[in-house]
Amino acid sequence: MATDSSYRLGLDFEIPLASKTMRVKLDTESRAIAIVGPSGAGKSTILRVLAGVERRARGLVTFCGQRWQGDDGPIVPPWLRRVGWVPQEVLLFPHLTVRDNLGYAGPSAAAVEETARLLQITELLERRPRRLSGGERQRVALGRALLAKPKLLLLDEPFSALDRPLRAELARVVGEWCAERGVPLVLVSHDEADAEVLAEQRWHLSDGKLVRE
Amino acid sequence: MTGWVLACGLALLLRADAAAGEPVRIDFEPTVSSAKAAPDSSLLVLAASSLAEVLPRLADAWRRGGGAEVRFSFDATSRLAVQALRSPSADAFFAADREWMDWLEQRAVVREGIAVAMAANELVVVVPADASPLATPAELERFPRIALAGENVPAGRYARAALEATGVWAEVADRVVRGGSVRGALEWVARGEVPVGIVYRTDAVAEPGVRVAFTFEATNHPPVLYWSAPLSASRAPESTDSFLRFVVSEQGRDIVAASGFALVEPSAVQALPSVAVVQAPAVASAIRLSLMVALLATIAGLVPAVGLGWLLARREFRGKALLSTLVMAPLVMPPVVTGFLLLSVLGGGTPLGSRLASLGLPVPFTILGAAIAAFVVGLPLYVITVRGAFEAVDPMYEELSRTLGAPPRRTFFRVSLPLALPGIAAGAMLAFARALGEFGATVVLAGNVEGSTRTIALAVYTLLESPSGRSTIWVLVGASVGISLLALLGFEALSRRQKLRLEDRHGH
Repeated sequence: MATDSSYRLGLDFEIPLASKTMRVKLDTESRAIAIVGPSGAGKSTILRVLAGVERRARGLVTFCGQRWQGDDGPIVPPWLRRVGWVPQEVLLFPHLTVRDNLGYAGPSAAAVEETARLLQITELLERRPRRLSGGERQRVALGRALLAKPKLLLLDEPFSALDRPLRAELARVVGEWCAERGVPLVLVSHDEADAEVLAEQRWHLSDGKLVRE
Repeated sequence: MTGWVLACGLALLLRADAAAGEPVRIDFEPTVSSAKAAPDSSLLVLAASSLAEVLPRLADAWRRGGGAEVRFSFDATSRLAVQALRSPSADAFFAADREWMDWLEQRAVVREGIAVAMAANELVVVVPADASPLATPAELERFPRIALAGENVPAGRYARAALEATGVWAEVADRVVRGGSVRGALEWVARGEVPVGIVYRTDAVAEPGVRVAFTFEATNHPPVLYWSAPLSASRAPESTDSFLRFVVSEQGRDIVAASGFALVEPSAVQALPSVAVVQAPAVASAIRLSLMVALLATIAGLVPAVGLGWLLARREFRGKALLSTLVMAPLVMPPVVTGFLLLSVLGGGTPLGSRLASLGLPVPFTILGAAIAAFVVGLPLYVITVRGAFEAVDPMYEELSRTLGAPPRRTFFRVSLPLALPGIAAGAMLAFARALGEFGATVVLAGNVEGSTRTIALAVYTLLESPSGRSTIWVLVGASVGISLLALLGFEALSRRQKLRLEDRHGH
């Protein structure tokens, strides 16, 4: 594993949710963490804050000493953060083919082919998103995020629509991909197996509080 | 229950206004109900607009002498004649020329040989009150525009005859702008939109914004005679006859003369010729013009509609409600009001209007004016549709695009715009259809000028004034209905495609 001791992710912010205010405090040097907890606790919202698309958060987000978010909202805009965000609600651009979705962030054609092979979606490249199954869509969205050359990968229930054998295999593929490139990962999942395979540190979110397990 | 209470309240109000001793009636449709509902109580009289001052005075005097109450509907003779034929419920007709009276006689709307000339008028040239004078018809040639009443309105036809007789018609024909009635032409001159106009003397002296430059010789045009006749459908023939007799009585003639009209001897009127120049507007030019105006308005509206639609769909800012209200206003305002406001901003006398004119882009009476009117009136539907299209796009597509390295502008062109494209096209179709149907704002801002602002809607309106226009109307009506329905079909198809475009979870 190509480790770089300078990596550090710090969260210390508040955000109003539907029922209460969530207070998130996290400080880690681990390159693979999982956030687990009951559904509706706000796990996906934490990823949105990290991606820079959530404007209601107030407080700090620091990534490797760089301040991404301050008391007045996002400081570094999402298009400069270089995060590979795969939201739980998998959205592919419906007007683009799978190939163009994968190539959205501008990778080389060869990189697109290679990632497609890695995720076993080569035969889908010319299709429209409308004609894909849920599992296929998840893999395309994942590939699109990997092809953006992210400095941080944010995965929100990334394998939920896949069946068991493929699920385990893809978790392994993503784990290796991150390890080879030294890309840190924040995983949101309620699946113990995923968290087991991918994460070295687990944080539990419930009642608006984030606690390390 | 509520309706009943309202009606009672209304009745009380009317009672308060009614003259002592007169029966109180409630007319929810004042132009049609009277004669049938209350025979021998009050009269409904259709009369040329230029009689709007004198006839109520005559009616007052008649009533004081024991006559019934008289109510009036004033409009251009041509439109009233068509109305009299369509819904025969009035008692008497006052026409501003003989030809329309003949037309009504031929259709037995009035009894033959019964019309009486009751007054005469003169044709005068008017200029704005503060303008420099002119004294001869030849001087009309130096004006860029001349306001006349519509070509099938008597005043418009007399004016043309006078210009032909004085030899200037050929020179000025393409500078003529037509108001619907004499009042319309007069209003343009009074506002300074048109530097000179030809109207009746009685109208000119009643308008403080203009002054009379000179009067056309009576020999230069057919005599301007007002004709009165009872309508066959009248339910109160005796009362009607009594009023018409009063109008030409000694007392009546005094009132007529006091209002600025000339008097005519009843014996002199039978053998007078009439002008018969009813022109059919060119059908092809109207259709071509309509398509062009609607297309211009649609193209001009594209960027504003996309900009405003996106802004209203995606941004929160101070004054958003105000902006939205302003954009939507033309949807609910009477188009005539919209046209009037536009004229107040873009008219020839305004700073913006004169700036545009000096750039070679005058707005009033030009195709530019027609396109601007259509643009403004069509914009609300455009913006509503485009806004809806943007709102239907899940904001998460845009968020995703940003995290994938595309700043807002690139995200707009690569994601928001393509996803909303069918909806934007649907908005364009709707705006096109609305622009095609535009009438009120156009007629006020751009007038009714053959070949440059007379679109299908205005041509139909013009033909309604003409006895011989019936067959032509159907061609234009067919074209109008056909094109509008096609545009709406396009709107439907594109709206459906918009929905389809955003359906990306077919296999979910």
